Amino acid sequence: MDRSTLSCGDAALIRVPGPASVRARLRGLIAALVATLVVAVAAPARAQEAAKPFHEAVDLLPLGEVAVQTEGRLKSFGSFANTQMSFVSGPRRINGQSPEFTYLDMLLRPESYEDADIVFVKGAAARVPIAEAVIDSFRDEAAKADAQARMDAFLKHGLISPALLKRPEVMATLRQMEQDLIRTEKVVSQIQGAMGVREPKYLLGRLLVIPPAADDAQQRWHGLGEVMMLAVDAERAKAAGIEQVPIAGIDLQKQRAVAGAWKDLVDAWAAQDAPAASKAVAALAASLHAVNPSVYPDTARLGWESWYFRNGNLTRVWLVYMASIILLLLGLVYRWPRALAWGFGVFGVAFLLQTAAVMLRWWISQRWPNSNMFEAVTTASWFGACCAVVLELWLRRRAVRGWFALTAAACSMVALMAAHFLPVQLNPNISNMMPVLHDVWLYIHTNVIIFSYALIFMAAISAGAYMLYRWRGGPATYARAGGTAAIVMAGGSGGGAMGFGDDAQSAAGRGGLGELLDGVTLLLMELSFILLWAGIVMGAIWADHSWGRPWGWDPKEVFALNTFIVFALLIHVRWRVKDKGLWTAILAVVGAAVMLFNWIVINFVITGLHSYA
Amino acid sequence: MDTPTTTDPTMARRSLPRVGGPLAPVIDLFSSVRFGIVLLTLLFLYMSVGSAGIIYPVHPNVFHPDAWVHAQFRQWRPLEMTEFEWFHWWPFDLLMGLLSANLIVTTIRRIPLKSVNYGVWMIHTGIIVLVVGSIIYFSQKVEGEAPVIRRAVVVSIKDAAGAVVVRERVIAVPGARTQLGAGPDPYLVEVTDIDPSWELLSGSDKGKRAYSVTLTVNRGDQRFMRQVVAGYPEYTEDLVLTDDPQQPVKRARKVNPDGNPIIDGALAVDLEYEGQQWFYLRNDLAKAWALYVRTPGDGPWTMRPIDGMPLYNDHIASRDEVFNGDATPIDPIDLAVPAVDPKDPFKDVDFRVTGYLRYALDRSKWMAGGEREPFNPVVILEVAQAKAAGQPAAQADRYQLQALDPERSMADGGILRAQVIKDEADIARASSVPSLRVAIPSIGFDGVLPITPPTAGAPGVPTPIGTADSGWSYRVVAVQDRLTIGEVTADVAIVEITSPERTWRRWAFSNPSMTRDLPPEDQGQQQPLPPDSSITMVYEPAEEGALLTVLIGPGPNQLRLASSIGSMRSAPQPIEVGKPFALPSGLTITLLDYLPNAVAVTKPFIVPPEERQRDARELFSRALVSGPAGGAQWLDYHPYVFDRRADALRRHPFEPTVVDLGGGRKAEVLFSRRREPMPTAVALDDFILATHIGGYTGEASTIRDYTSMLRFDDGSGWSKPVPCSVNAPVEHDGWWFFQAQWDPPDQARFEGDRASRGLNYTVLGVANREGVLIQLLGCVISVLGMCYAFYVKPIIKRRHREAALALAARLRAEGKLSPAAVAALDAKGGA
Repeated sequence: MDRSTLSCGDAALIRVPGPASVRARLRGLIAALVATLVVAVAAPARAQEAAKPFHEAVDLLPLGEVAVQTEGRLKSFGSFANTQMSFVSGPRRINGQSPEFTYLDMLLRPESYEDADIVFVKGAAARVPIAEAVIDSFRDEAAKADAQARMDAFLKHGLISPALLKRPEVMATLRQMEQDLIRTEKVVSQIQGAMGVREPKYLLGRLLVIPPAADDAQQRWHGLGEVMMLAVDAERAKAAGIEQVPIAGIDLQKQRAVAGAWKDLVDAWAAQDAPAASKAVAALAASLHAVNPSVYPDTARLGWESWYFRNGNLTRVWLVYMASIILLLLGLVYRWPRALAWGFGVFGVAFLLQTAAVMLRWWISQRWPNSNMFEAVTTASWFGACCAVVLELWLRRRAVRGWFALTAAACSMVALMAAHFLPVQLNPNISNMMPVLHDVWLYIHTNVIIFSYALIFMAAISAGAYMLYRWRGGPATYARAGGTAAIVMAGGSGGGAMGFGDDAQSAAGRGGLGELLDGVTLLLMELSFILLWAGIVMGAIWADHSWGRPWGWDPKEVFALNTFIVFALLIHVRWRVKDKGLWTAILAVVGAAVMLFNWIVINFVITGLHSYA
Repeated sequence: MDTPTTTDPTMARRSLPRVGGPLAPVIDLFSSVRFGIVLLTLLFLYMSVGSAGIIYPVHPNVFHPDAWVHAQFRQWRPLEMTEFEWFHWWPFDLLMGLLSANLIVTTIRRIPLKSVNYGVWMIHTGIIVLVVGSIIYFSQKVEGEAPVIRRAVVVSIKDAAGAVVVRERVIAVPGARTQLGAGPDPYLVEVTDIDPSWELLSGSDKGKRAYSVTLTVNRGDQRFMRQVVAGYPEYTEDLVLTDDPQQPVKRARKVNPDGNPIIDGALAVDLEYEGQQWFYLRNDLAKAWALYVRTPGDGPWTMRPIDGMPLYNDHIASRDEVFNGDATPIDPIDLAVPAVDPKDPFKDVDFRVTGYLRYALDRSKWMAGGEREPFNPVVILEVAQAKAAGQPAAQADRYQLQALDPERSMADGGILRAQVIKDEADIARASSVPSLRVAIPSIGFDGVLPITPPTAGAPGVPTPIGTADSGWSYRVVAVQDRLTIGEVTADVAIVEITSPERTWRRWAFSNPSMTRDLPPEDQGQQQPLPPDSSITMVYEPAEEGALLTVLIGPGPNQLRLASSIGSMRSAPQPIEVGKPFALPSGLTITLLDYLPNAVAVTKPFIVPPEERQRDARELFSRALVSGPAGGAQWLDYHPYVFDRRADALRRHPFEPTVVDLGGGRKAEVLFSRRREPMPTAVALDDFILATHIGGYTGEASTIRDYTSMLRFDDGSGWSKPVPCSVNAPVEHDGWWFFQAQWDPPDQARFEGDRASRGLNYTVLGVANREGVLIQLLGCVISVLGMCYAFYVKPIIKRRHREAALALAARLRAEGKLSPAAVAALDAKGGA
């Protein structure tokens, strides 16, 4: 960044300390940041060095390449187990175990989980009465005190044991809660679902891992339960009444190989023999692949799918974005070129990681990721980051350099943090799209709309920065030529010093930062204004042939239009008022608030036709 | 108006052309950008309130989570508007009109039509075109739903010459029935099974799949099944029911000596298209309530629109009209529903709607009858279990016991009972108690154990058997006397037994040979097991009484309670209405009411909002309708109107109500929504469910698409099938047909019902779309205008500036510029 672009007035407002001492302090800060990141990354590795309990010692990686047919999809076992265990324990992991391990352990050693806190209950409104019922159900004071302690943890983390949920007093409470369809019925339904999912019969029944005999990939897969008794000697099985008819069309030896490997796994698991269990896992995976390779999905894709879920859907990239924000802020505020360069570098790394996450999800789900809230939020922020990369490359020699990366990094960081910390609301599981979403307009309308949402959020960041600047006493300057227009008008010569504002202002050395922030806001707002309107129109075209009417005054439609109206107001208010920069910033933030209201409140509170988006 | 991209002072500061005359202030107002800003702001607020509703505090502590209430403003009692109605109300229309006028006047007066302003002109023009298109679209919009059944089964009886004697038509859904012929041996025909994907096993189309309907035909002693395959009448054949358990069904061609596949040649069955003639307007767009009227029978209905009917709020004239109307404001309506159709059979009669409930269910309660009513004693009891110290309230359950009804006289698995006593000798029998005879050899126990009742609201606490540390205990879950199992009647107690090793449940019968243990739930085994021999248990039922028996009589209003809880057995004690009666085990029984001449009264029960299904829409609504003779009756809402019960679609009600018109006249009425004739009759040829891998499993996520193969009646017969899928509507005669709902498979829902494999009908969305292309044109113009204003205009301005600067430089070089102009040029940094 050209130092001349920040005026003396700006520097005074920001109260910049001496460059040497600042940089020394900042270097320490960066070192601490890097150290924190290294520690965060290295911590799991160190943990592996310690003595390994069974759940860590057993190698389930081969199962990552095993396909399971579920809900009309072929998922990797890792992805499947993640989905199933989320039905039981929500976003929590049980005893630090992987979902794959918990799935198998719950299936093979169900008694271990009877009095373990494994069932996730969402929301305090449901937890409080359950906790009270649990405590009330104990007569003995010592038991009551113990229950109190467990319930304190339950109220905090939301996990409770099946044994406690089965207590008559708790069941009576659940029955009462079930009557309230608005507040608590859904939670009770989830609890009942969790109690059902953890049952070994259910867990075994869902393991549709044996491919069909026919070469028709659309055929139903078979469950392990359909062959597992084939491992027992036929005579003994007949005598014991557990004789099993082999699956027609599949080589009996292959079925026996699967059954044998499964039996070995069950035996090793019961004995808590990790090496034997690992061996059985590998044998089971190999035997399943061998049943009918012609219909078996790509094992590499399955493996990556498991890896993707094992690594939290790569939502931890928000940490990298956060690091880039810190560095970019250091570079922009303190005019420190090296920090800015590092900021760009880290932003680039974060963008590449997020790109990898989006592409990986695209590949493993076999469709563009924009058909549920998790995908809409993460893909929208990725669009924002893409836009920032393009703008930064285009305007790399302008004073505006760095601001687009900063706003995009903030947008992506917030989006990925939401995806990371709110997995219940933003469910990352991959599922089939609703029939209504199978349309080319899903890719056009939805992507255009979510792209505009990302830009609106980015514009609100720069608008917020402008308001901060004004709050700190900055003069009421603004980008006289507008957003994109300023860039275009400046042409190759660069126009004013920064491409925003008129030359007189820059020449006077006053208010450069204000012009710049206002210009960034306008540039992003102009783009989002067009995209939002075009997206609304495209949605209307889709709705016309999908629902029979282009416009139904659905809340989601209305608030998309409301967002547009706010920006229309911004354009006209800016034209009329004196303090153009401040009003632009205020209305840009209001527009973002309306957009977020549409995305959050309308989606989760007020139902409409767009319940999936 | 302008965009912020401009710095053109000629636009921003342009003085308005002068307008004279009295309209000058108005025209100036409509030329004002500020006025436009105000209108846009009002529009934003109006749309926000109408769509998302309002949030307001109801408690002084605004930080309390329950202090705020969210409400849909447009649904408030004085408004009662749907979204569609809110956005077509006059304030909205006025706002849009003012905004359009403002847009037009401002554009013409303020923005010169020149190249730099083409973008703004295009945006504003596009919006005006969009508004015009929307006026056309919404003023003519009609949208509804049309259920279309896949086939009708036409059954006819032919005489020896082949002439049709009797003919009946019934829709092809499992459970549909009809009767043909009169006299002692009519044909009773029922659709028992429909396979939408029947595989042809022979013929040239072997391997193909077709729609197959199987009927059961009963006529006197003759009983057989007939299978008909759509499109393949040559494959029609009968199946004969046999007594052979190895082969309960035989093909007729193997039974008939001549190999004829038909048992009864007089009976002909055909599958025909069932063209839908009507579509029903969507009630959630604009309210479209209607009453359908006909003379009692199976004749056609005539429609009477109900104008002014509410949708969201309950309207009652008296709290006696419902059971739980205490919280419902008295806010009556009185809407006349006159005849509008010339074919209306009761043109002279106005029906009236005097009440409306948004979400209610029928409930029956026992009420006190007059002395003229027959003796029908009902006791209403409350059994409460005191909670532990420090707990807020006791748990209590209420029971209504109808003493003269064998089933309704008992509750809680036979533990509670009401019994009429004719004389004192009955008391001994009524006071006998049920018990369990138990033997556990391992602890040397052999004795009789009392049956302790469950505590209110929760199963009872286990009671030790033998010594307290024996490790054995039991808990009675339920008792059931005179239980019918197959052809046997038995008495049984369901007991949870705990041994030192495990806990399990036993069905302990009075006949020990029937006693069985239930397998543990996690074993997935369904069959009961032989009883564990470590404990024997025989249920000994009471002679007549239960653990708690309310004895009624022999004197008038004489009530006593016979209790056998615990090991105590005492003489029956008098009980009075309203006085709690303490029992052992912390139980309290209170006789809430005694109705000696009880009559059952059925009224609507308003379902509390928190117990309502969110997506139920108006499905549980009802209207209070009366004829000229009075006698208002609550009518359930019917989404669709069918002529006969046999035509009613699965999962859709058909309960017409007979209304007395006075003078011996009666009318049959039905509460529904308005319908319109279909532009073209539509039939369903086939319904295709496209699924993801593994097929349909009952989970919606396994469905990829729904396709209705439609045929249209163009006057010359049915057209060729046309696919109508999600996102792929069919246009016909200017109307669009959309895939809206489907018929999923389901199980039998009540006694005598049939399971269904589904796919027997489809529901199509039917809509017109006048003006859509004008709307689209407006949108496209405005989008292009935005692109021009933001991205083309700056380029034009830049070129203008460069040209101006070049000109200035030339003039300066030629010395033709004044010193002031030169100074200004230098200040700009140009040239």
